Amino acid sequence: MTTPIKEPTPVPVGKVSTPVGARPRKPRKEERFAEGGGVLNAFSHGFLILWALMIVFPLLWVVLSSFKTDKQIGGSAWSWPSHWSFDAFSRAWDKGIGDFFVNTLVVLCGSVTLTMLFGSMAAYVLARYEFPGNRALYYIFVAGAMFPVYLALVPLFFMVNRMGLLNSYIGLILVYVAYSLPFTVFFLHSFFRTLPTAVHEAAVIDGCSHTRAFFQVMVPMAKPGLISVGIFNVLGQWNQYILPVTLMQQQKSGDPDRSMLAQGLVNLALQQGYSGDSPALFAGMTVAMVPVLVVYLSFQRQVQSGLTAGTLK
Amino acid sequence: MGSDFNRRDLIKRAVAVGLVAAPAAGFLSACASGGGDNESSAKGKKTKDNPFAVANGAGLDVVIFKGGYGDDYARAFEKLYEKKYKGKTSHLGTQDITGKLQPRFNTGSPPDVIDDSGAKQIKLDVLHKNGQLADLTPLLDAPYIDDPSKKVRDVLQPGTIETGSFDGKMYSLSYVYTVWGLWYSGKLFKDKGYTPPKTWSDFMALCKEIKKDGTAPFCHQGKYPYYINILVMDLIAKTGGLEYVKRIDSLDPTVWGEGAAKSSIEAVYELVDKGYLLPGTNGMTHIESQTAWNEYKAAFIPSGSWLENEQLKSTPQDFDMKFLPVPTLDGAKLPFEAIRAGAGEPFIVPEKAKNKAGGLEFLRIMLSKEASGKFAQAANSLTVLKDGVGSDVKLRPGTQSTVEVLKAAGTNTFNYNYPNTASEFDTAVQNASGELMAKRIKPAEWLKRVKAAAEKAKKG
Amino acid sequence: MRHRKYPFIAGFLFVPVVLYAVFVIWPYIQTFGYSLTDWSGQSQTMNFVGFDNYSKLFSDSVFKKALVHNMLILVFLPVITILLALFFAFMLNVGGRGRAGAVQGVRGAGIYKIVFFFPQVLSIAILTVLFQAVYRSDEGGLFNGVLVKLGLEDKQHPIEWLNSPDLVLWCIIGVLIWAGVGFYLVLFSAAMQSIPKEIYEAALLDGARRGQTFFRVTLPLLWDSVQTAWVYLAIAAMDVFALVATLTPGAYYGGGPDFHSEVMATYLMRNFLTYGKSGYACAMGVVILLLTLILSAITLRITRRERIEF
Repeated sequence: MTTPIKEPTPVPVGKVSTPVGARPRKPRKEERFAEGGGVLNAFSHGFLILWALMIVFPLLWVVLSSFKTDKQIGGSAWSWPSHWSFDAFSRAWDKGIGDFFVNTLVVLCGSVTLTMLFGSMAAYVLARYEFPGNRALYYIFVAGAMFPVYLALVPLFFMVNRMGLLNSYIGLILVYVAYSLPFTVFFLHSFFRTLPTAVHEAAVIDGCSHTRAFFQVMVPMAKPGLISVGIFNVLGQWNQYILPVTLMQQQKSGDPDRSMLAQGLVNLALQQGYSGDSPALFAGMTVAMVPVLVVYLSFQRQVQSGLTAGTLK
Repeated sequence: MGSDFNRRDLIKRAVAVGLVAAPAAGFLSACASGGGDNESSAKGKKTKDNPFAVANGAGLDVVIFKGGYGDDYARAFEKLYEKKYKGKTSHLGTQDITGKLQPRFNTGSPPDVIDDSGAKQIKLDVLHKNGQLADLTPLLDAPYIDDPSKKVRDVLQPGTIETGSFDGKMYSLSYVYTVWGLWYSGKLFKDKGYTPPKTWSDFMALCKEIKKDGTAPFCHQGKYPYYINILVMDLIAKTGGLEYVKRIDSLDPTVWGEGAAKSSIEAVYELVDKGYLLPGTNGMTHIESQTAWNEYKAAFIPSGSWLENEQLKSTPQDFDMKFLPVPTLDGAKLPFEAIRAGAGEPFIVPEKAKNKAGGLEFLRIMLSKEASGKFAQAANSLTVLKDGVGSDVKLRPGTQSTVEVLKAAGTNTFNYNYPNTASEFDTAVQNASGELMAKRIKPAEWLKRVKAAAEKAKKG
Repeated sequence: MRHRKYPFIAGFLFVPVVLYAVFVIWPYIQTFGYSLTDWSGQSQTMNFVGFDNYSKLFSDSVFKKALVHNMLILVFLPVITILLALFFAFMLNVGGRGRAGAVQGVRGAGIYKIVFFFPQVLSIAILTVLFQAVYRSDEGGLFNGVLVKLGLEDKQHPIEWLNSPDLVLWCIIGVLIWAGVGFYLVLFSAAMQSIPKEIYEAALLDGARRGQTFFRVTLPLLWDSVQTAWVYLAIAAMDVFALVATLTPGAYYGGGPDFHSEVMATYLMRNFLTYGKSGYACAMGVVILLLTLILSAITLRITRRERIEF
């Protein structure tokens, strides 16, 4: 809340936007003060709306395409669906979109949790304890964030195969965790450094073990940072494609299909290249898109507040 | 030896949508452990009707690449097998052969029959090197189901055995017989009174007329220059003759300084120069351009004979799809009827299959008139079985026209092998053709580039 | 607090380090090993060739082209994305009608923040199919369709976006920006909200224009977030594999027309899987790795600044 200083008109200030009796939409004299405010406002609205349209429009197009016919999709992108039926959706569902979704959820639940647990443990130790090799270890972790994943695919496949973990949730979870560690350690490391040391010291003096001090004192203090890095990880692992396509393939005819969502969608797209079912592909994409949007809508406050914490310090 | 057909799959499918193939097929099976001993199922009695001695009631494990031809046809074949041997078949249709089967080869428990095709095909030479492939010679010498007086080897299209052979022995049965060339709509031509051209000058004259009528004479799948190379390389082959094709395959750089290559590429460039291309075609995917062609926006399009099946849903009922061999230039060494044709879609029987006899028998069943006709109907493509489509089978117009064209061609068929053996060279030729079609380079530059690429590839 | 420190450290580090070593470090080391061989990728037989692959790499013109493209993306992607995101974030938080000198965001700021973030949750498969349609090379495309309808372009000569040597790389960068801005907008916006409003208002009272407040107040206080964004985007710029491989023309992993959109990752993949030059591809990978490391070090050094506490 601020106080108007040189302001002649008695208008309520701050976030309360219900001026008594006055019509709020009209430009007002105080605009002169914050010079250019009105112009800026129109200008910014213009740009924001334009960008928003650029995002909403293509997504709507995806949704509309799931109601079109193959021929319409192959033809102009500007056609309007001629009949409205949900056939394509049930076909997409038959092709396993639902299963892919569940697979992805199962893996992400495990992998994000473990990533956060192990990542924060490593980051914490590296950030707060002196020991020989600390710096070296930190840099080795961080360097991993710079490596292109596809370089390691072949040896990685052999490794997972030798462990007998191909097409298993556990295998993919462990690999996801390993490949998410660099980022996680990198950001949490800087975050743990900024936390005040006094609280932790007090806890230790009170006889808290290092482990308890971590879980009961440091983790709660680091919550904003953890949330933010967790969000990064959810997004990163959600969109992961190359790892599951290498590691999550049925090994026997009877093996369950444990495709991740991105993988499943690409397979649908592959079929579409073979005179398959384009509407079903778009329906699948819609099905894949909507729940994520819903989740984001419900958690966007946490996402946004969590993000502040995740910057380099 | 992969087939050209698979190569083309690789090109467009993997790239079109598959973001990346799983780690290279080959080296995985290279480590094939050979694994557990597989007790083969009990032997049946060897009879004239059952040359491989398949045990009654023996199950059959079939894995089919579910690509352009779907996998319904295979289910029909499995029914034929079940009827004969009362064994249960298990069926898996997939786009990802490598992903599904690599580990099974590694552990020594492969299925009994595999359609090893598509972008994620397991390389046949690797499987062969590791002793994973059953020798198909017994199949070739087995009696042909529809006429037991003949052997299977006598009823295959020319080139089929060679395509599937390593060191003189056949290890894979390439089942689909593909022809490459130009395609047009019979309806469009009838409505407008166009005559399918036989010579290049007739072709150009017709293009001029078509353009005047407001249709684009020619379109191609520009995002994948593989397709325009059908026209380019067919024209070169027909102008230069079979010997010329061999020299191209052997990466002889001097061919690119000679007349046949020069006149052919200049002829193709004429299409560009005279504005005969469909606007935007140079940037289109196969689906986009082929659908535009189905909408009569363009008259000709180059492709292989999978086209009809691929466009099934977008083709108007009365479109009347027709195949046209590439028209010939003056002084061409091969006649107009000559076409590029070859066997593709390799089927294999693993050496360590539990029911190896059943696998061989399955292939023999595939090479019967009944199965071949079913395939032609379900997948709108021909098989390598000579005269494999009975008169009772009603084909779609495009497939029907390839039957006629093949008859007319007789022994005048040719095929290129360089896409399988020199992929870097192939890529260079494709790039050059893409640039030519976009009018960014001239024929002279095209020849120079291709020649340089051949020299480079030759050096290795 | 010295007691039992080392067991604790070891206990906490054990699992993460083992996971990391087994699944990440060891495969990369093996990759380096392969880069010294003529491995074809088809079998486990190979010969040691020393640094041959590396010396060949330096005379490979396509690789150099790819390198340049990566560098272009590396410069333009972060700059444009961050500027746009900052601009939008500033609009959302400060662009509103100032009432009585109070600084506030535009109306509907919350909705914008949600909408702009959408692309971030889309799978790469969706992006590919979507932008294939957007950039389609005839009037059926979303872009060309609009241009033709507006009369800005001749139907007979549509812009072949992805098949144009001058445009194709920008088309790819465009997709990355489209997908990325929302995320960084939310990131910056959150950071801006943690800046006390009084700072702005004081600045405004001191006679600063709004534009000036951005450069004098907002930007310095957001520096941490900008730096974070930069690192993220730089890493994204080194790996644009999926988009290039699927959207651009050309045989085997795109990169066309005629290598005009080739990036190191696609060229590596083509060598690895198509040409059967896996050892060579591994050498390429090692070079990419080194470059990325050097670049990150430089980025961090340059952007390091004194932090402003508030």
